[in-house]
Amino acid sequence: MTRSRALAAELHKTLTLPAAWAGVTVALLGSLLITVLNAYAVHADPSAVAFTAPLEVAFAAMPLGTVGATVIGVTVFSSEFTGERQITATLAAVPDRVLVLTAKAIVVVLLVAVTAVVTMPLTIGVARLMIGESVSIPEAVTRCLGAALYWILSGLIALAVTVFTRSGVVPMVVLIVNGSLVSFSLLLSKVSALGFWLPDMAGRRLFGDVPTVEGGLGVVPGALVMAGWTALLLVAAAAVFHRRDTMG
Amino acid sequence: MLSIDGLTKTYRERTVLSEVSFRAEPGRVTGFLGPNAAGKSSTLRILLGLDRPTAGVALVGGRPYRSLPEPLRVVGSMLDGSGAHRSRTARGHLRWLARSHGISGRRVTEVLERAGLADTGRLRAGRFSLGMRQRLGLAAALLGEPDVLVLDEPANGLDPEGVRWLRCLVRDHAAAGGTVLLSSHAMSEVAAVADDLVVIAAGRVMAAGPLARVTAGFATLEDAFFALTGAGSGIGGVR
Repeated sequence: MTRSRALAAELHKTLTLPAAWAGVTVALLGSLLITVLNAYAVHADPSAVAFTAPLEVAFAAMPLGTVGATVIGVTVFSSEFTGERQITATLAAVPDRVLVLTAKAIVVVLLVAVTAVVTMPLTIGVARLMIGESVSIPEAVTRCLGAALYWILSGLIALAVTVFTRSGVVPMVVLIVNGSLVSFSLLLSKVSALGFWLPDMAGRRLFGDVPTVEGGLGVVPGALVMAGWTALLLVAAAAVFHRRDTMG
Repeated sequence: MLSIDGLTKTYRERTVLSEVSFRAEPGRVTGFLGPNAAGKSSTLRILLGLDRPTAGVALVGGRPYRSLPEPLRVVGSMLDGSGAHRSRTARGHLRWLARSHGISGRRVTEVLERAGLADTGRLRAGRFSLGMRQRLGLAAALLGEPDVLVLDEPANGLDPEGVRWLRCLVRDHAAAGGTVLLSSHAMSEVAAVADDLVVIAAGRVMAAGPLARVTAGFATLEDAFFALTGAGSGIGGVR
């Protein structure tokens, strides 16, 4: 009873938080906009070599979903520490901090998953309509499941990292830059194979057959490594959150 | 009943509480009086399970706050103003708190009315005046119809009408058998409502007991306060 109520409270809190909806909007409208632009380019120049298939066009926009998931993961926790410090009210209502963090993690999974369910078919559908080529449904479903998993794990990693920092600024900047502009683990992978074992590089094949650097882990081992990182970071975050003074 | 026993809190080298012990009894308003930075908030934060003590225990009806299954139905608390995220309305803030305990929407409306916030509608907490924030914090404290109220500087920012409302609220609560622990640095406010007094300064309890006993031998509570806390004797006294 207590658990389901804690989850209901966290769900209500997140669904009424404008910053969380900003994350959903980035994932949904951002992906859609990039898909439309790319599909238009393909449509205008059918002889273009790269990105001709609708699935490839749609999947080129998927990093925007990672950014959206990151925004959701960060703000679900950082919003507790801005202004009047809602965390005081949160912990007065639910003093079990592991329960609070678990409820927040479940909310991140649900919100990112629903965002993926809406965004992915929509972008693929738009790409298909504009380009006119057919899409293999089984391939699309498999790749969408992989990409959704990548988004969810990215959201959870963002949540865990924000528990350490409490402020949302640093994780937001670092994770968004890492997820969209320059991947630190990609750079590291150029000099050391260790880079392939960091979460975002390990999981990158979840998007399917997108152009990516050679080497590194395959889909399943990569997904397991990324999920392992996520679990490890969440457990460490729970331990820190459990021990730390609210103000300390 | 609230019982605080031998509470000590140190941050690295700095001791903010040393051996703080007192009780707050049912049916009485206990004023927790001390200058700023005396350790009032630190004590209340430990009592509410937000911070951990270095030593000692703070219990609510014999149990640590963190072990209460439905804490809002036992203790209503207000620390740090309202605790509402700036993007939320008063009702929005109370609604998620209510969800955490399966409290009805009707009760949310009741406490909003009781706190004089029923007309705030779509106004967001980020635009609230200090007084409205305090009222929202008090509304949240009342939400679960608790026996115990723990209020940290509740009169801060309230207008005269608000102060009077607060005074009636805590008196009525104690008269109905509830326990009230109310911290303040404003002596007139405490003198007007408290049955019992705990005076704290520099992290130590200087005096505790019924108001009349603590102030015995002094003309006013103010005289007693300055004598007990050693403050106000010059520069660097009560801020």
